[in-house]
Amino acid sequence: MEVLEARNLSVSLVGVDVLRHISFTLRRGRVLGLVGESGAGKSMLGRVIARDLPTAFKVRSGALTFQGHDLVTIAGEKHRELLGDSIAFIPQEPLTALNPVLTIGQQFDEHLGRLGVPQADRRTRMITALGNVLLHDPVTLLDRYSFQISGGMCQRVLIAMAFASEPALIVADEPTTALDVSTQAHIVQIMRKMQRDHGTALLFITHDLRLAAHVCDDILVLYAGDIVERGPARTLTAMARHPYTLALQAANPPLDGPAHRLATLPEQMPGIGAFTTLPGCRFAPRCPVADEECGRAVPPLREIAPHHFVRCSGACLTQGAKASAPEPLPVATTTPGVPVLVLKDVAKHYPGERDWLGRRRPGTDAVKAINLTVRAGEFVGIVGESGSGKSTVAKLIMGLEPITAGRIAIDGNDVSVNDSAARQVRLGTLQMVFQDPQSALNPRRPVGRLITQSLEAARSTASEADRVMRARALLAETGLSADLLQRFPSQLSGGQKQRVNIARALCVTPRLLVADEIVSGLDVSVQAQILNLLLDLRRDRGIGLVFISHDLSVVRYLCSRVLVMQHGAVVEQGDAEAVLGRPQHPYTQSLIAAVPPEDPDRPWPCNSP
Amino acid sequence: MSRIALLLLFRRTLLAVPILLCVSALVFLVLRLLPADPVAMSLPPGATADDLARLRQSFGLDRAIPVQYVLWLGKIITGDFGTSIFFRRDVGELIARALPATLELIAAGLLLGIAAGIIGGLAMFAWRGRTGEQVLDLATSGLMAIPEFLWAIVLILLFGVMWPVMPFIGRLGSGLVQPAPLTGFLLIDSVIIGRLDVFVSALRHLMLPAMALAIGIAPLIMRVLRSSLLDVIQEDYITQARLRGIAEHTILVRHALRNAALPTISLIGVQAGFMFGGTVLVEMIFAYPGLGNLMVDAVRNHDLPVIQAVALIYCVLVLGINAAVDVIYLAVNPKLRFAT
Repeated sequence: MEVLEARNLSVSLVGVDVLRHISFTLRRGRVLGLVGESGAGKSMLGRVIARDLPTAFKVRSGALTFQGHDLVTIAGEKHRELLGDSIAFIPQEPLTALNPVLTIGQQFDEHLGRLGVPQADRRTRMITALGNVLLHDPVTLLDRYSFQISGGMCQRVLIAMAFASEPALIVADEPTTALDVSTQAHIVQIMRKMQRDHGTALLFITHDLRLAAHVCDDILVLYAGDIVERGPARTLTAMARHPYTLALQAANPPLDGPAHRLATLPEQMPGIGAFTTLPGCRFAPRCPVADEECGRAVPPLREIAPHHFVRCSGACLTQGAKASAPEPLPVATTTPGVPVLVLKDVAKHYPGERDWLGRRRPGTDAVKAINLTVRAGEFVGIVGESGSGKSTVAKLIMGLEPITAGRIAIDGNDVSVNDSAARQVRLGTLQMVFQDPQSALNPRRPVGRLITQSLEAARSTASEADRVMRARALLAETGLSADLLQRFPSQLSGGQKQRVNIARALCVTPRLLVADEIVSGLDVSVQAQILNLLLDLRRDRGIGLVFISHDLSVVRYLCSRVLVMQHGAVVEQGDAEAVLGRPQHPYTQSLIAAVPPEDPDRPWPCNSP
Repeated sequence: MSRIALLLLFRRTLLAVPILLCVSALVFLVLRLLPADPVAMSLPPGATADDLARLRQSFGLDRAIPVQYVLWLGKIITGDFGTSIFFRRDVGELIARALPATLELIAAGLLLGIAAGIIGGLAMFAWRGRTGEQVLDLATSGLMAIPEFLWAIVLILLFGVMWPVMPFIGRLGSGLVQPAPLTGFLLIDSVIIGRLDVFVSALRHLMLPAMALAIGIAPLIMRVLRSSLLDVIQEDYITQARLRGIAEHTILVRHALRNAALPTISLIGVQAGFMFGGTVLVEMIFAYPGLGNLMVDAVRNHDLPVIQAVALIYCVLVLGINAAVDVIYLAVNPKLRFAT
């Protein structure tokens, strides 16, 4: 039985289609994955269902039918009656999706009231529902507020609420993106179980093709508003044919197997403004196998195998995507001698803050006696979940926070106390790149000034001409065009912004970069570009790197050594291949088990929550 | 909740003691440094230097200033505010008559101002991007640009002179005698003794001065509430409530307003403090027998004991209002109650 059916659905912004001729069918009890990078239009579909399109976006043509109702034309009041009852939504940010001034119970109760559950039955219903999503002690949970519980618990509450009405359709837009990997595995497991038990149709929107392969029955791959490939999850991931799908897979580093240099696509996905200049296949400008014909007309969606559709020119498909021989990963060559950075028993204790009544709360040991040595040209990874203290380590290395115990040495110089001498040592040797490329750049300065900011220091003797020359050199080194010199950060894409951040850090020719989650906000294809850039910098400059990340695959790709942190302590460390390939500590094992494997036939998630 | 609120009040009260000491010392010192002799002024022209000395002694003004301060403070703790030099009456008694009148006025002004502010803020929000919002925006600018004492005069001209529907002098109509004070609050006393005519008259007399005070706070509340609502409506939990099919008015009142109220409550706390200053002028204009008028008379006549006492009462009132706002804030914002 069809629950949701899209027929030739097009959504446009002032005449430009941001979703083009989308057609699919979602049946009862099935999971359909919408996969795409940011700007692909994958969230737009959920917003058509919710009737929550951004200003000036319109459904231009086509129909979106839910159980016989056309969601595009149905009257507003009727549409609202469907929401929460027959169609439920699971959000991306569970912590902010619950009202902070109302308790969990008050909000759940309101929802049940809206569904017409009599007052007397609501409490029992809520307790059962929260128990079904494996939340412990549902009774006390009812009286708590969203900010008192973790993101994973909030998401379980929202899942329980979504399933309360036994809806026919659930739309989940990146429901695990804001969560830690192990929480992601639990949430996926709970969602899948509930969905199977209730026979719900689930629309699962994600940027993660690997995750989609494990969660979904069918997958649609979107690129710049077009469906480029569609098919059963197993077939599509095992036998992907569209060059974009293949590129997505190739850009994602594996957690096991042989390591080779990631193949990357040039540039990035075109923005809405560029759509009018692309009358044909919108992927053509980046496509490794595109010919002239591709740029002229949109290729049709062709069935190349039962239920497996690909939107690509015939020539390309018959040729097949030629898998070029993978480039080997450059080997790290570390120089012996005095290490660039040594951390000896470094610890950080935060004393508890005084609350507004003047009582001191108990303090926290953010970092407990960690040891770390980084040599020139060495890439060291620090992995762990949120709250493990890995970002604090970055701050301690940079001297942004004073250490409470231990010693830090740079090139043999003690910098444990960040006095002016230590700052001089740090400035010439260390630089940091931040997680959010956007907020790390002053929006009112052009790129050329931003990346040469360090030349503004009082002792700098660089002239204006030197500065421009330096800026050009840095742009070239980080793979950016010289046209960007006069641009402002708001005119750059996310990947470009992060390159600018790296270029700025390189301006003082540091010997060690400290990078805190610098690719987690980026799309996979852009992430691959940045990772390769870092490898190139090691080859060309012999630069070292402390790479902090929650993503084990990325750390395995870049780093020769890895530290696994939990609750502020290093629980396992050593050669990256050994630690991630044969983990000894149960925490490392659980982290690895929580990562969706590349092979869609390997059962995942396998641990019970 | 109640335990934390009590702790907060306790802490507030402890903090209030040093603040009150500082304020009282400051007022005491400044008044003693003024080159005016209230006692000499209150004597008939034929009085001798002996008479003056005797009188000064009877008020304790012949002692050293710190000694005077400590003596005064000691008496205040026992509830004795001293004797007015000008009125020749017990200061405590003067304040007991004036304070309820001022509290009644402030309560009415706050009530009117908050009600108008919230309704106006909701209207501005509901009409966002439309002409209604622009009209209200312009109106609030106008209301804020003109100080409240001018509004008091405008209100008298409008509703007292041009279109005489409201009384604007005193607390009661001329035909009515103020009943013996039970609580001192006319609105309450009249209900207790069952005098409807007194109640109506008192309420009518309260309207114009309360409106003048309300105009001082309503536009600010409107604007802050509007902009908080605009922020809150963007939040994920509002979208999520909408996606659960909750009706739009329920979302506004239950989900948006409570979150948007937080900055507004802080603002009301600050504004209520300023309102006490506003009452002085407004009471003068409306010949309203409250603390403000008492203060003005006292200042005019260099009546030191009265000035000191009233200044201290104002200070207590402001601290009290701040504590009350803190407790309300705590009640509305669970994040503060359960700080993680």
